[in-house]
Amino acid sequence: MNVSMTINGEAVSREVEARTLLVHFIREDLDLTGTKIGCDTSQCGACTIHVNGKIAKACTLLAAQADGADITTIEGLAENGEHHPMQTAFWENHGLQCGYCTPGMIMASAAFVRDNPGASEDDIRHYLEGNICRCTGYHNIVKAVKQVADAAAGGA
Amino acid sequence: MSAEAGSVIGESIKRIDARGKVTGETRYPGDIDIEGQLWMRIKFSERAHARVVAVDVAAAEALPGVVRVFTSLDVPVNEYGLVIKDQPVLCGPGGDKAGTDVVRCYMDMVAVAVAETDTIAKQAIALIQVHYEDLPAVFDAEEAMLASAPQLHPDCADNQVARYRIRRGDMAAGWRAADVVVEGMYETTWQEHAYLQPEAGLGYIDEANRVTVVVAGQWTHEDQEQIYHALDLPPGQVRVIYPAIGGAFGGREDMSVQIVLALAAWKLRRPVKIQWNREESIRYHHKRHPIKVRAKWGATGEGLLTAMECEVIGDAGAYNYTSNKVLGNAHLTVSGAYEVENIHIDTYAVYTNNIPSGAFRGFGAPQALLAAEGQMNRLAAALNMDPLEIRLKNSIREGSIGSVGTPFPPGVSMPQVFAACGAESWWRQGEAGWQLQAPVAPSDSSKRRGRGLAGGFKNVGFSFGFPEHCWAGIELQGSAEIERVILYHAGADVGQGAHTVLMQMAADALGVPFERVQLVASDTATSGSSGSASASRLSFMSGNAIRGAAELALRKWQDEERPAKADFMYHPPETTPFDPQTGYAEPNFAYGYVAEAVEVEVDIETGQVQLLEVVCANDVGKVINRQQLEGQIEGAIVQAQGYALMEYLVSRDGRILNPYLSTYLIPTSLDVPPRVKSVVLEYPDPIGPWGARGMAEMPFLPLAPAIAAAIYAATGVWIDSQPFTAQKVVAALRAAGIGEV
Ligand code: FES
Ligand code: FES
Repeated sequence: MNVSMTINGEAVSREVEARTLLVHFIREDLDLTGTKIGCDTSQCGACTIHVNGKIAKACTLLAAQADGADITTIEGLAENGEHHPMQTAFWENHGLQCGYCTPGMIMASAAFVRDNPGASEDDIRHYLEGNICRCTGYHNIVKAVKQVADAAAGGA
Repeated sequence: MSAEAGSVIGESIKRIDARGKVTGETRYPGDIDIEGQLWMRIKFSERAHARVVAVDVAAAEALPGVVRVFTSLDVPVNEYGLVIKDQPVLCGPGGDKAGTDVVRCYMDMVAVAVAETDTIAKQAIALIQVHYEDLPAVFDAEEAMLASAPQLHPDCADNQVARYRIRRGDMAAGWRAADVVVEGMYETTWQEHAYLQPEAGLGYIDEANRVTVVVAGQWTHEDQEQIYHALDLPPGQVRVIYPAIGGAFGGREDMSVQIVLALAAWKLRRPVKIQWNREESIRYHHKRHPIKVRAKWGATGEGLLTAMECEVIGDAGAYNYTSNKVLGNAHLTVSGAYEVENIHIDTYAVYTNNIPSGAFRGFGAPQALLAAEGQMNRLAAALNMDPLEIRLKNSIREGSIGSVGTPFPPGVSMPQVFAACGAESWWRQGEAGWQLQAPVAPSDSSKRRGRGLAGGFKNVGFSFGFPEHCWAGIELQGSAEIERVILYHAGADVGQGAHTVLMQMAADALGVPFERVQLVASDTATSGSSGSASASRLSFMSGNAIRGAAELALRKWQDEERPAKADFMYHPPETTPFDPQTGYAEPNFAYGYVAEAVEVEVDIETGQVQLLEVVCANDVGKVINRQQLEGQIEGAIVQAQGYALMEYLVSRDGRILNPYLSTYLIPTSLDVPPRVKSVVLEYPDPIGPWGARGMAEMPFLPLAPAIAAAIYAATGVWIDSQPFTAQKVVAALRAAGIGEV
């Protein structure tokens, strides 16, 4: 079947098998490998992307379900060559080690802070429960997200 | 050159790989493809213990799109193993080595199918018919030691792949001198590494006709050796490259997809790719050892240790992996960081038909310290002494003789580390010595709070006579001044940030700004062997190698050589294995020291234990990159928290029942302690580069026993079986008459 969508601002259209998962479509058909796969059970959040502005785990959707959607992956988060503030915050606060969880963490956090400027540390910890990191112990991740949340609340 | 003003040593230089990781550009093994690549799937054993009588691949090979199915008959030298080559690459008939036709666990490989697509390869696997002849199996390490147990390996009659003893002093005198004797039995189970990137890799023939494997591992040159041995190729014919690695923690020290990928790529002369999912990752790589410790310790009324007796039994699983080394380290650690003259220890690593156990952050020390620190806490309770006081009385210090009869290498800081941990947490020093301040009781009467302490040490670098080494190469470019430095190094950046640290050390050793250093890393074609990213050794070993190479390169630079190139192989002081009768040894050349204090809240109705705060004192010798170092401490603590409280791998008759992140639960952002305080101490190691020790494993070690001590302080109940799940805690509470029945 044919699916068409906008990915990172570009219109794409491809023939896929009906059972193709969105995450495989993104990684294999479009070679956007920034979106990761870390589990088989929708647990880890490594595949988190934005679908029509809302976060989604790309391993839980079929490519066909995203037909017509507007999708952003980690590769499309930077704007006009400028890193998204969340990318900068993870970098500066050492919110990553192996980095395998990082794209999903950043995508989830960016959407969260956009909708919840000024979120508290506790809010952030609750929100990030669906994104697993085995390396960092989460402290620097929470610190990074809090920094962006604070800046967003500062009314910039 | 020493660290001075302007030096980058100790600075929180941002990791060099951060940009690619936050933009998604960084490629891990599963993200790399080659035009025209084939796909591989593996047929794993369907029995815990059986002879493979025949492998019928006809139907699989007849499937359109299948290129080839490989079996035992295709492997030139059908054996591998990091320390002992006791595992067949592919189990099946036809080999000239005894026992290669036997599967000994569910993670043995029997065949691999290579096809045009992953889907076809998967279908092919289902069509492979394996005929087994079942053999009796054993799943309990103590049972496997009995004469009646089935024998797993042809050359290991009692299934004991390693056996160690320590015999020192006069035990009868030791027990006579004791006013109090405490006994305990401590049990631990498997832990899954759960690195977030599942195994994947790509094999191909490179431009120099080398069979090349792109994979995530911990030691490029060891992977290379395992591959060329099995394929019966000259070393130079095999190349291993690590791209970005999605976590390791010891779990990538042994082979997963490396050998079979190389085999297929070499025979087919086409690129071959494989990608495991999470279930495969959990089912088919090794785990942390289940270890059982029986311990009996005696002390005087003043709290001085007089005698110590321990028995340590580790379940190696079906193959050795690093079990003989892990149990060696448990053997060394099970007496804790204490001095005692009379000591008697027996340790065993035992083959069973369970999944193999192997390296995992801490390498046997977390299990051993659960026992040692459990014993110390029991002694403190029995003598009504403060847990910090009794530790300081017995702690090893500079010049102390270890359980193995030789002094600890110079630079012992254990007493300082214990004291710093106490002072930075809840201990106050008064006339009666150190005194723990009790926590404020929670208002909810079903909750109790307690505080606990534990500590220990971990070797830095390989032990027990291993020919430890590390290579570094440096090239200086420029004319009047050094404009560019190229550092060649094979050390694996598994996420810990090693590459950034290597470059910092090179910059400082050469006296050039960090920005001028470039790194060519993790490729056997461009570097000598740097050893593994394990044993908390990479900074220590690489730093010394880089300093050596820098000195040689600078000398050539002064002699006007352009570019000035030099390489250096660092060898630390030699170590020795245990004497088989007495255990006498010089096991290690350096150690790191750690202590942790924790506060927990126990819900006496549900048995739920919440970790509220952790204070970790870690002597790292010298900070190279503070931000990365604190990140390692925080990450290790949360991994250890998972180990202590929640991670529970269920295995029945050798088969893992919960191979998913939905059923094997690891800590999320909601589980972790809100307060973690890192107390970083810098007592230099006399032979460490810039004084640095290793540090990446240490914060893992004492957390579980510290939590056990805190649960006791809160409730008066000892929990000696890891993980301390709500179910176990509630059972222990009820048995003690606490809470509702
Ligand atoms: S891969 Fe989608 S949640 Fe894990
Ligand atoms: S940085 Fe490795 S999983 Fe998060």
